Amino acid sequence: MKVIENTVVKSNTEIASGIWELVADSPKICSEYRGPGQFVSILPIDGWQHPLRRPMSIAAVKKSSLTIIYKIFGDVTSEFSKLQKGDNLNMLGPIGNTFSGWDDSGYDPVLVGGGVGLAPILNLKNTCADNGIAVAVIIGARRGSEHFMDHDPDNGLWLTTDDGSLGAAGTVMPTLEDVIASLPNPRLFACGPEPMLEAVRDFSIAKGIPAELSVESYMACGIELCQGCVIAKPNGQDKKNSYHERYSLVCADGPIYEAKDISFG
Amino acid sequence: MADITVTIGKHTFQNPVFAASGTFGYGLENPDLVDISAFGAIVTKSITRQPREGNPPPRIVETPSGMINSIGLSNIGVDKYVSDMAPKYADIGCPVIMNIAGSSEDEYCEIVEITESVNSNIIGYEVNISCPNVKHGGIEFGVNAELTESLTSKIRKRTGKLVIMKLSPNVTDIRSIAMAAEAGGADALSAINTVYGMSINPHTKKSEIYTTYGGLSGPAIKPVGLACVHKVSLAVDVPVIGIGGITSGKDAVEYILAGASAIQVGTANYRDPATGISILDDLKRYLAEQNIATVAEMIGMVETYES
Repeated sequence: MKVIENTVVKSNTEIASGIWELVADSPKICSEYRGPGQFVSILPIDGWQHPLRRPMSIAAVKKSSLTIIYKIFGDVTSEFSKLQKGDNLNMLGPIGNTFSGWDDSGYDPVLVGGGVGLAPILNLKNTCADNGIAVAVIIGARRGSEHFMDHDPDNGLWLTTDDGSLGAAGTVMPTLEDVIASLPNPRLFACGPEPMLEAVRDFSIAKGIPAELSVESYMACGIELCQGCVIAKPNGQDKKNSYHERYSLVCADGPIYEAKDISFG
Repeated sequence: MADITVTIGKHTFQNPVFAASGTFGYGLENPDLVDISAFGAIVTKSITRQPREGNPPPRIVETPSGMINSIGLSNIGVDKYVSDMAPKYADIGCPVIMNIAGSSEDEYCEIVEITESVNSNIIGYEVNISCPNVKHGGIEFGVNAELTESLTSKIRKRTGKLVIMKLSPNVTDIRSIAMAAEAGGADALSAINTVYGMSINPHTKKSEIYTTYGGLSGPAIKPVGLACVHKVSLAVDVPVIGIGGITSGKDAVEYILAGASAIQVGTANYRDPATGISILDDLKRYLAEQNIATVAEMIGMVETYES
């Protein structure tokens, strides 16, 4: 069940260059939370100047505390960064489905995150740790200052940067290929910018590796009213007089999809 | 307490706050978030003769105090609507107005005939002749007075239920379309549908909507809606239902003063589908503070400098 809740900010800190972590007391949403992959939709705090909520992945849920990680992207997120302990923040959630199969024995989960897409990946990483499941994690960023974890391949955490200033230089893809090579039965979980997701999707299909992708979409409501947040399904373009056969509604069917079930651009 | 009932055609509604088409789904999506029995009525998303996928993404973009959409009438089609949705309206405690869209008179008429063939508590049709986002989604009717009158009279002949024509602001003279709909036998007019808009990303240099142009809604269009409602209400005798950027009781009052007999809440539902209920509470408070006995006596009572 989804709820609208006036949450109370507990902390709001910059954890890397332009990347913030906000923890809010949110007992109602937390009690409905089902697992990594779900998101909340947050009301801007400037009245009606920005009418639409901002969908943001849940980075952690601990008892009644809900964590999001956001990147300063425009006016709305810039305003969020000014929130102080005790301030209210209106959230709608939890929305969407969850990553699945990460706890299947016999598989080696490989988690790939990039940019703002690291929140659900971090959530899944920590949830796996809580369940004693070993995972490999690859996090990409443009430059080292955007990372807030340590490059630590011995403990299963690889960082990459486009400019080579931290970890492996380049995108997450070469590192992903290296990491996969040593795993008997990899299963991919990814969230990040569309070019990254598209690369992971194509790679997983080419290699026959199961993969779940968390996708982003423009969204006016998150509650199946606007029909705006669609993503194309493969091989659906020839359908006539159909409904939700060519397009899937991300807020209702996603945000997590098997790689083979969606197409980009 | 003030009398907040309003009468449109032969139907009296418990209050003047309706949920607008396209912003409230089929009315059944979010029972946990909103008690729809509190609304005067709900208007469904547009139903077409055949199911429709809608337009390719991106379909949505935020703009200053508004948003542009180009959904493209994505819906399940009238056959499935009548078989799967309409029966569920039996106990929702709120009258349902079915919004319909078509690309020809025949399509509109078939939708009405199919819906008339079943029992339901659908109390009327809001006829979308104003969707700006599909090439053949009714706008060709909404910009032409003769076609509007002809379509209205054909629908009128097929139903005893309410017939409400939904008008576009994207016309030279909205009064001429309104008078044509009245002449065709409409019980009421809804104004306004979305305003043509465009949004460009200066970084990518791309249009932010797949169809280039979409429909602007939200507080940004409230002044446009108020002016249209005022003009239309002076031009016709049938009730006008005001739509466009309503987010508060104050906005609702302004529309009623401009000439609206009822109002629809649209874009605000995307933030919170229960916005209509808080608007209703605001409206009741306003009436009490102002010692106004009925909503009806407030309709069109704006004081203007010129008459």
